[in-house]
Amino acid sequence: MTSSKEEKSASGAPARGLSRRQLLSGASALSAAGWIAGTSGGWLLRPNWANAAGPIKMGIATDITGAIAPSGNANWQVAQFAVEQINQAGGVAGKPIELYLEDTASDPKIAVGNVRKLIQERKVDVVLGGITSAMRQAIKDPIVNRGRTLYIYPQLYEGQECTKHLYCTGPTPAQQCDELIPYIINKLGKKRFALPSANYVWPQLLNKYARKVIQANGGEVVFEEYYPLDQPEYSATIGKIKDGKVDCVFNTVIPPGLQPFVKQLYESGFQRNGGVLSCVYYDENLLNYHPAHEMEGLYSCLDYFQSVNDPFSAKLQEAYSKKFPDTKYLFTAGSASTGMYRGVKFYEAAVKQTKGDLAREAVSAAMDKGKIADGPGGGAEMVPGKMHCKMNMYVAQCKVDAGKTRYDVISKANMVDPKEC
Amino acid sequence: MLKAGELRAGSFNRLVIMDFGVKLAFDLLAFTSVMVLIVLGLGVVASMMGIFNFAHGEFVLLGAYTVFIFHESGLPIWAGIVAAPFVLALFGAALERSIIRRFYAAPIIAMLGTYAIGLVIRETVRGLLGGHYKSIPEPLPGVFTIGDLDFSIWRTVIVITTLVVIAASWLLLTRTSIGLQIRGSLENPALARSCGIATPRLYTLTFAFGSALAGLAGALIVPLYQLSADIGLRFLVQAFLSVMLGGVGTFEGPVLGATAVGATAAGLPWLVIPVLADPLVFVIALVIVKFRPQGFITQGRL
Repeated sequence: MTSSKEEKSASGAPARGLSRRQLLSGASALSAAGWIAGTSGGWLLRPNWANAAGPIKMGIATDITGAIAPSGNANWQVAQFAVEQINQAGGVAGKPIELYLEDTASDPKIAVGNVRKLIQERKVDVVLGGITSAMRQAIKDPIVNRGRTLYIYPQLYEGQECTKHLYCTGPTPAQQCDELIPYIINKLGKKRFALPSANYVWPQLLNKYARKVIQANGGEVVFEEYYPLDQPEYSATIGKIKDGKVDCVFNTVIPPGLQPFVKQLYESGFQRNGGVLSCVYYDENLLNYHPAHEMEGLYSCLDYFQSVNDPFSAKLQEAYSKKFPDTKYLFTAGSASTGMYRGVKFYEAAVKQTKGDLAREAVSAAMDKGKIADGPGGGAEMVPGKMHCKMNMYVAQCKVDAGKTRYDVISKANMVDPKEC
Repeated sequence: MLKAGELRAGSFNRLVIMDFGVKLAFDLLAFTSVMVLIVLGLGVVASMMGIFNFAHGEFVLLGAYTVFIFHESGLPIWAGIVAAPFVLALFGAALERSIIRRFYAAPIIAMLGTYAIGLVIRETVRGLLGGHYKSIPEPLPGVFTIGDLDFSIWRTVIVITTLVVIAASWLLLTRTSIGLQIRGSLENPALARSCGIATPRLYTLTFAFGSALAGLAGALIVPLYQLSADIGLRFLVQAFLSVMLGGVGTFEGPVLGATAVGATAAGLPWLVIPVLADPLVFVIALVIVKFRPQGFITQGRL
């Protein structure tokens, strides 16, 4: 119906030479590429097959435009990818999943209105998304409390989110620190830590936990310092690292302050003289953020690396690159993509449990005991009553071969406890 | 009398303190050079033409972006750094011819207009980069060592280039006939025109020159930072502060202002926690401006 109407209106104005549909699709392509804030309409992806049983409406609220657009677009692509696989396999309990996208535009103020649209107009059964903690804080109330809808938050974060019906599918500080820091202290023999950080909530709470783990393992925090996010000059910090005889820099400085910091650290000879740089949000996206020699030897700890030796993960990557050939939005851990995949699969498993009942209480009760057998980096398992999940964690080191950077997985820890709530 | 051991320890301490001083001086100098380089173009246009170019940060961005394009297409980064000022000079000239010259009568509107131009450039580049941060390696990476101290080669290149550019710009404006014409048409446009000087052409040249300086600044600093759409924005506010501090209307004023702001911004984190250092730079500058509202240099235009 709608398509024939659109064609009519297009043929009614042939002089324009551009149909409304072409114009619309052009505009949305632009907005998807981050050119314009396409916040007016939102997006709908309907599966091809009939939906006699009534579809499951899944809302994705993520940052398609703005500063965090690269991660947001990766999230949106992974959501499409995961949902397409589910629909091709027959949907969930006989129902297909319909995807609704709203752009949160890297701006909590815009996001709240757009998320409300998902809840009130689209009447979605679940919302997945939000990348920064500021975004989660802004949209959780419209979704969970006023919207009475299930919310799944996919990004690695600082922990302490214990809202009922809000499930976190990314790693927590415990999951990121409990493996990496003992490895650095016991295996690498580095004991004097510096915690240079961007000044916002994630580094502050992550450092609080990291400090505990460092001290429990016999290490020492030489200094913990916070910078404006875009600080361009770090000579004072480098001076403190040298004077304090720091041998491990546990970095939570983020772009745009990141590049000058890493460069000045490298130029000071820190790594050359045996120092270790570690950074727990570094995934494949960040391999090209610095020249290769500055990246060499860096340690990271995440729930998935593309070099993880796991047949299911390899198949997943292959299918993803087939659906999005040459995409610049990678399927990685740091951009909340692995959490997004896990979130979709947890929801699928829960609705299977309820046999297609989409009522929030029922699905939430099933989510609480949820388990997925496979995923990027392995399966995952909700800790009942805690709204966080156990997952495999990997310590990896950046290696350089002929100017090309990659991560080599060094150790794997099975089903690490999130230790939240 | 000191024993030999104490003597050695004493001289060792002195050496450490000297090392520390030299390193600190170099770090301050390096960052100050970055600041001066960015402010130079802004200062020239503000002092010589009375236009506060709010798109200056985006001119810096375009200079950086030019290097990125060269790097992406497999050309040497050096070539990109050399090309950036020329690309920006052409861009600046075209912009002056088409838009900026309509603003000369209304400096306030000029601020809004250039801000709008900057916004368009910034968001276009953001779209082209897909919002990503891009790393551009230095043409001369690494450090050189004197004694126990390491000095970044690229920062040294920036310091030297800045000194050369300051000297060259100063000579151009004060010692050449074209500099004289520029200063003349600023002082009294009507008289300059009656002497047969084509003032519109000179304005175009001056604006192109300021843009070229911005392009050079962007090209030189981008290896130190990541290329992102906001690379110029970061420095713009401090650059305006420098011009205000140094005083509009002279060539030396903004340079001095940038030196003061750059050294304070890099030096304060040694004394106070870094989060405080940023606003403190502004507080100090505002206090100085309160007592010297005309800036450091109060004489008339160059």
